[in-house]
Amino acid sequence: MSAPGTVSFSLRRIGVIAELTVLEAVRQRLFGVLLVLAAGMIAGAQLLREFNFGSSELKFITDFGFGAVTLFGTILAVVTAAQLFFAEIENRTALTLLAKPVFRAEFVLGKFAGVAAVLALFVGVTTGVLVAVLWMREQSLMASVPEAFERGRLVQYGSVVAFGALQWLKFSVIAALTLVIAGFANTNLYSVVISFLVVLICHLQYLAHESWRRMASGVGRTAAMLLAAVFPNFQMFNVGDRVAAGQAIDPVVLGGSAAYGALYLAVFLALAVYVFRRREI
Amino acid sequence: MSAVPPPAISVEGLTKDFLLSVRGYRVRAVDDLTLQVPAGQVFGLLGPNGSGKSTTIKVVLGLIEPTLGRTAIFGVRSAEVRSRLNVGYLPENPNFHRFLSGRELVTFYARVCGVDRARLRDRVDEVIEWVGLKDAASRRLSTYSKGMLQRIGLAQAVVHDPRLLILDEPTAGVDPVGSAEIGELILRLKAQGKTVVLSSHLLAQVEDLCDRIAILNRGRLVLEGGVDDLVTEKGRDALIVRGLDASALGDLRGWLDGRGAELVAVEKPRTTLDRIFREHVAERMQAADAPTAPGPGTEGRPR
Repeated sequence: MSAPGTVSFSLRRIGVIAELTVLEAVRQRLFGVLLVLAAGMIAGAQLLREFNFGSSELKFITDFGFGAVTLFGTILAVVTAAQLFFAEIENRTALTLLAKPVFRAEFVLGKFAGVAAVLALFVGVTTGVLVAVLWMREQSLMASVPEAFERGRLVQYGSVVAFGALQWLKFSVIAALTLVIAGFANTNLYSVVISFLVVLICHLQYLAHESWRRMASGVGRTAAMLLAAVFPNFQMFNVGDRVAAGQAIDPVVLGGSAAYGALYLAVFLALAVYVFRRREI
Repeated sequence: MSAVPPPAISVEGLTKDFLLSVRGYRVRAVDDLTLQVPAGQVFGLLGPNGSGKSTTIKVVLGLIEPTLGRTAIFGVRSAEVRSRLNVGYLPENPNFHRFLSGRELVTFYARVCGVDRARLRDRVDEVIEWVGLKDAASRRLSTYSKGMLQRIGLAQAVVHDPRLLILDEPTAGVDPVGSAEIGELILRLKAQGKTVVLSSHLLAQVEDLCDRIAILNRGRLVLEGGVDDLVTEKGRDALIVRGLDASALGDLRGWLDGRGAELVAVEKPRTTLDRIFREHVAERMQAADAPTAPGPGTEGRPR
């Protein structure tokens, strides 16, 4: 607790700002629409009966579910982070808040924590629906084609949940990245468009990484190396193929990906705070 | 010997330039401004649009950095977050989180300002009632009128009981009745010993409410002083007389001439349109708000 007449950096204030951010996101239609769409797509995967090819159907449902989580989660991360942060500046609600004894870092971290909580809710619900759908379908397949399950269940449920956790981390990195961009952007549209472009670059970053490793020397190698260092490699979070194939995620791989994501998260958040502290509102 | 308490706000040599383009074009919003706001007074900050009032307020609140000069609140530099411990701020044309209800908004700001959890609810209800929004407290802000938004803005500004209130155009776009109500609230704050900085274009209201004023033009201070000193015409006196006929007026004129004084003008005292509007509209609004006779099926009072 601060001494009278002093103000210390406060996790409590970050929590209050995060709570408001969650409330705003939940009361906006976009979150509900994306959540219902994603959950509906995952739940509807088992209704695609013409794709019924026995136990392989579980792989299809898993792939389909992972695709829905990734697609809608990415949209939610970019749009929600840009909207909830930039709207505070555009609508000048940040003026009233920052005229209180609030550090700008608390404002940025509060906004991020709120968006991360919204993303956790999204990933939690959609992964939960996916696990439920897989479980029900596997139960019915175990009854109809028991010989396919002689060596036990085919779905690695723990790995499905681990996939969800890794995606949440990836979405959080995307949200932090969007906050950096929104910190110096002049319009919300600019924040959203540039953020999606950067997300695309992050998905293709492994190409720069491979080029850098293959190049002997020179400017091209330096440029590729810088590109590979600045943008996170989102392929690090891409463990869906292994999980869909019924393989467990190696805990070392899981831990490495989590540490990689946490590092980029910390860097982007520090950058977002730095950019916003310099911004005149 | 006791130390002199610092002024509520001190501005020393403040200059603020805004960069207009990457080529380095700048516009000077505030130009070498120096002024002090004494504690416990209502201080009017006046000036035309673009005169630098809002920019000065933003620098004082630490929302933007000065190009040159220093500002402080109760002796604490504006750059320090703790300078805002004792400040409530109502921005110009306030835009709050429209998805919140009035009570949720005030509760949010109370929590941000660290109002004790044990008295949070009571304090929020207290300030909502103080601004006269008790019946609308549960409604979303998106349904509030402009005057209601200004009043809920005032509630969030005072919820942590600050010593200094900075109100930027608190009556902009508000009808005369709402404007008078906000004026009443400002006077009540003054009675509580608060310092109020009021930026406004409504000069009549500023004259009624403020102890001191500063007039800015093109970012420079052009006039500062006590309202009474500034508006009182020196060397003249006004007599308001009832029942004076033409012959008595002639006698009075001669009597004044005999004493070396001159009767400069004889005119009827005038009221203001603002006062007439408020009296008539407020009366009708009060009549409309008064309880009506109970309808069928309700428990009636004896008539």
